[in-house]
Amino acid sequence: MSLRTYMKWLTAAVAVGSLVAIGGAHAQEPIKLGFAGALSGPASFVGTEIRRGAEIAVDEINAKGGVKGRKLILISRDDEHNPVKTVAQYRELIEREKVVGMLGASNSASMLAVAPIVNDTLKVPVICPATDATEITENEAMKQGRDNYLFRVGMYGTGQANFMVDTMVKKFGHKKVGLLTWTGGWGVTGRGELQRRLKENGLAPVSDETFDNNDTDMTPQIIKLKDAGAESILNYALVRENTFVVKTKEKLSNGTPYVSAWGIAGPAFWKAAGTSAEGVLTSTTVTIDGPQTPERTAFINEYRKRHNEEMSAAVFAVGAYDAVYLFKTAMEKNGFEPDKIRAGLENISEFKGLVKHFKRPVFTKDRHNAVTEEDMIMTRWTDGKLLEVKFDDKGPYVELDASTKKYIDKATMKLM
Amino acid sequence: MYFFLQIALSGIATGAIYGLIAVGYSLTFMTTKALNFALGMWVMFGGMLTYSLNVQYGIHPLIVLPIVIVTLFAFGLVAERFSVYPFLRAGSDVWVMSTLAVGFLMIDLAEIIWGRNPTPVPPFLGKNPVYIGSVSILPQQLLIIAAACVVFLGLDFFYRRTLLGKAFRAVAHSSDVSSLMGINTRRVEAMSYAVAAALAGIAGFLVVPLTLAEPQLGTVLGLKAFAIAIIAGLAAPRGILICGLFYGAFEGLVSGYLYTGIRDILGFTIMIVALYLRPEGIFGKPQEERA
Repeated sequence: MSLRTYMKWLTAAVAVGSLVAIGGAHAQEPIKLGFAGALSGPASFVGTEIRRGAEIAVDEINAKGGVKGRKLILISRDDEHNPVKTVAQYRELIEREKVVGMLGASNSASMLAVAPIVNDTLKVPVICPATDATEITENEAMKQGRDNYLFRVGMYGTGQANFMVDTMVKKFGHKKVGLLTWTGGWGVTGRGELQRRLKENGLAPVSDETFDNNDTDMTPQIIKLKDAGAESILNYALVRENTFVVKTKEKLSNGTPYVSAWGIAGPAFWKAAGTSAEGVLTSTTVTIDGPQTPERTAFINEYRKRHNEEMSAAVFAVGAYDAVYLFKTAMEKNGFEPDKIRAGLENISEFKGLVKHFKRPVFTKDRHNAVTEEDMIMTRWTDGKLLEVKFDDKGPYVELDASTKKYIDKATMKLM
Repeated sequence: MYFFLQIALSGIATGAIYGLIAVGYSLTFMTTKALNFALGMWVMFGGMLTYSLNVQYGIHPLIVLPIVIVTLFAFGLVAERFSVYPFLRAGSDVWVMSTLAVGFLMIDLAEIIWGRNPTPVPPFLGKNPVYIGSVSILPQQLLIIAAACVVFLGLDFFYRRTLLGKAFRAVAHSSDVSSLMGINTRRVEAMSYAVAAALAGIAGFLVVPLTLAEPQLGTVLGLKAFAIAIIAGLAAPRGILICGLFYGAFEGLVSGYLYTGIRDILGFTIMIVALYLRPEGIFGKPQEERA
């Protein structure tokens, strides 16, 4: 071999080698997921839980070699619960950082602002663990039969109201239902939804009370509900207001069963209300109290190990964890193009998640809510723990531990 | 009848809180014609301090109370020196903004120190309701009504019987003449601000077991108390208590017989109408022209 031929071969070899190297480098380039939500301000616990839950999933996946050999990274932005910032950060994360999937923000207003932009121009799939406004997923694009990039693993408004009303009316047999809702945004929507579902059940609220953000004493409302003969009171409010409600009920020795939407499905409620919260029901998607699956237990332990504290809102952390794995599943099947990931999400036939084991397609083209009314659970505050209310032939019950089953009196919600 | 009595009584208990805070506006207004617009935030500070001392450090409420009073009094002196006095001396109305600025500063600091999560403070006299006939009331609410009465009697005594109180009234009447008569008006002005802060602290101490300890606890209370101080008349401390109790009962009755959503609309409308009809307040004396 002449020197010249040798040089030729060498050049070729180097060229091929560097091509391979480039290819290799490409294979190693991480896949980016994004999150924009409140990481400061009063709602920061929501954003923090989403980020923490997602981080655990990302680290787990990377420890096992990533997705198709590529590492995942999560890029987070603090939108301060402000929809204007959320929109700007979605643009920044998708257009500049080239994220291929997003985790939904911490407030519905942000997601309602983002949804049309995502569907019309940004076209990157978003999975929401927290925000419950129905129109986020059931949006214009879905109604027009276009590609819808918004998915949800958390609660959704219409479904929750249906679930609350149906559980009380059908499973507890309460036909006289009273409402007690907040006059602010979430409460107004919730009130309308509850009224609608009662009507669909052929009922009307026996009393329809509201309260203001600043009410610390709910005496008039509670007495009116009682006088109207309410067998249970359905409520849309957060920790503060619910605390004032249960304290007022205690002051008036009022034992009417009290059922809240998922705003109090976390330890903050027990911390604020203490034993006054005993027996209060709340609908939710996940509770980490009571008997758990091994996967959930592992997640709870990992969370404790990392942050040295208990989850303040497990639903969001668990939902975000599942959202990351849903992205992984879709990417393994369809690759890393955002549009392909979206299509992939609509095509997951079974999914063993932490929220639950979905034994049917998680999402379909017409249903972008993973958690439907059938998947929601009713829980009861029981001695500081949020225990799932289950039903058998003898009626509703909770499991204090794996072997202790306590039935619930339907008229008072007390344990029998 | 039960319904009426129960909601009226609960309302009066809330009204006592308003009255207790509202009198703070009157104190500084009488001496300096300036108001601490952030009084609600000072209530919050008193409440959060109570939370820290009572819940976090396990100190008995009876010991917590004097600590709260002294601390807020001292903070009041400092805040007056830096956020009110310089502007009053310059004859400017900037204190409107600067007192509010101090208030928002307090909220932000409270969020950093205590976080934003609402936390309970156990009621000092237990949480079992007391029954008056069939009507129930919490011991803490009774305590607040009693405390409001004591504070107002105390203030009355202070204004009428003590030298400093008389100096307050003299300065309220005419700062210049008082100064000529040898009253240290500067001291009286600073003291009035500090006493108002201490009263806000007492209100915070009393109210925090009924609400929850959180940085936003006093903001709306302060606003409502302001409405009451205006309706009653800033220069009429006794009228403020009566007005506060009535306003609380009024709120309860509106919620009970009408609709919660219109309660504040009615309340603040009454304030505007009252201002229009009697700018000096229901209990205030029309101000005579001063030479």
